[in-house]
Amino acid sequence: MAIIEACGLTKKFGETTAVEDLSLQVEEGDVLGFLGPNGAGKTTTIRMLSGIIASTSGYATIAGQRTDDNVEKLHEAIGLLTESPGFYDRLSARCNLEFFASFYPGLNASAQVEKYLRIMGLWDRREDRVGGFSKGMKQRLALARALLHEPRVLFLDEPTSGLDPEASQEVRQMIGRLSSEGRTIFLSTHNLAEAELLCHRIAVIRTRLLVMDTGEELRRRFFHRQVVIQLETSDTSVVEAVKNLAFVQDVSEEGNELFIELADPKKNRPELVRAIVEAGGRVLEVTERQHPLEEVYLRLIREEANRDS
Amino acid sequence: MTRRRITNILIKEWRVLFTDTNNTLMVTLVPLLIVGQLLLYVWLAVHFGGDTIISANIFQNAMEKLRQSSSVVAVLPVGDQFKVLLLNQFNFFLLLIPTMIAISFATFSIVEEKLNKSLEALLATPVKTWELLLGKALAGAIPALVITWLCAGVFLLILLGMGWGNLIDMVLNPSWFLSLFLLTPAVAILSFLLGVIGSSRAKDPRGAQNIVLVIIFPVLGLIAVQVTGLVWFTPLLTLALALGIAVSDVIILRVAVRLFQRESIVVSWR
Repeated sequence: MAIIEACGLTKKFGETTAVEDLSLQVEEGDVLGFLGPNGAGKTTTIRMLSGIIASTSGYATIAGQRTDDNVEKLHEAIGLLTESPGFYDRLSARCNLEFFASFYPGLNASAQVEKYLRIMGLWDRREDRVGGFSKGMKQRLALARALLHEPRVLFLDEPTSGLDPEASQEVRQMIGRLSSEGRTIFLSTHNLAEAELLCHRIAVIRTRLLVMDTGEELRRRFFHRQVVIQLETSDTSVVEAVKNLAFVQDVSEEGNELFIELADPKKNRPELVRAIVEAGGRVLEVTERQHPLEEVYLRLIREEANRDS
Repeated sequence: MTRRRITNILIKEWRVLFTDTNNTLMVTLVPLLIVGQLLLYVWLAVHFGGDTIISANIFQNAMEKLRQSSSVVAVLPVGDQFKVLLLNQFNFFLLLIPTMIAISFATFSIVEEKLNKSLEALLATPVKTWELLLGKALAGAIPALVITWLCAGVFLLILLGMGWGNLIDMVLNPSWFLSLFLLTPAVAILSFLLGVIGSSRAKDPRGAQNIVLVIIFPVLGLIAVQVTGLVWFTPLLTLALALGIAVSDVIILRVAVRLFQRESIVVSWR
């Protein structure tokens, strides 16, 4: 069952359309990677879905709750990690979290604050002023704030943006842990490797939703699967033999490696290897080439940009 | 829940406010200095202005109304009557204290959230707009009120110190108490609500302060109409004024909620 549902969501700021006709569904427990270039409408979408701003047209529901109606109730069901952590620098970590926790009805604020400060590894620094925290610590604290009321849905707006590799990894590990707890996560990010690592499905937006699928399906949709054959030595007769096979769609050569696109990689691979061996090739390794998500993303964005121009 | 939320906003605001020495000094020391300075002006006017000031046309109407309002004052020497007239203005001068503190603090209340980038996270909680605005207005109005009452106490102590203790009974009339304990709280809340409105409509602290600066004019107007005798604030009139402002507090809170546009605050501010 979809816990996040958007239907024709559109947002205009004056003459500028920030998000156009966005429709998507996210199943409970899924992590959706929300990708797009700067100004593509990622933050605007998150703000609409979290009831911070109203849509110009269309609607969305989170856990069955309309985002344009009774936003206080909606906010009890969601956690939002904003693009900037945003704390009161002169207050301690504990004071900051207790303040935000105080708005949720029926919440044992001090117990929840302790729980998440411990989980985020900030318990020992609880009485320190947030102004003295590093960016990574602030981000972990912001994640704790988003989780205090145990929301079913988490919106994370570029959670690793501006963090050093170590801090990014810590935050990613935390997100992975939250995902394994079965929380639904809507993750806006520029980091494609991060999206690939953490997300069940990927959505790419550039004002409009361009695609939404699993990383694997997106690869399949945009690139043919390639088999990589590593030979002991390069051999033109082997390349010629491969090119003559009916099921081979394309062949390229780099050093000792052949990159071959097959009509049906699973079915054609044994015949391919036999043909290479028969042509005198000595096969060291047969693997399948994985196109990085980055290639899929860049191709999508370029195609969209070309279409626009 | 609502009361708890407002209390928590109050406590947070106070923690933020009083962890900054400049803010603490601004709230406490500056009003006390202003009271001292005003009393010094009164003393200078009485001692060096002499008959020229006392007989100035601008004060004659007010002096007449003062004599009519109190038989005790009417039998005092003219010099003392003039002192009582000037000292009576202090209940309205004291209204300037919460107004002044509001200009400084209420204007920052929302702008600071935006500058800290904490406003979006705050708006993602189940806090209602009116709870947030009232909490912020009260967080400023309560300390402003306390310091105003403290200033009133200091004012009386300085009077004793100046050797004008015999006039205290004539200053502490029913209008004084109504002004201090009804009008001042109503004006304090009004000032802070207007400050919060200014803060939520402006794009930066300076813009917010410019918007809120207009609060000061009605208070100066009150002082002007009384000191010139245009309107004499009897206890009944002071009570009516206090109740009128209390009602407008409720109306202004509703207006503040309508004017607080979450979307433009989150999206437009940089």
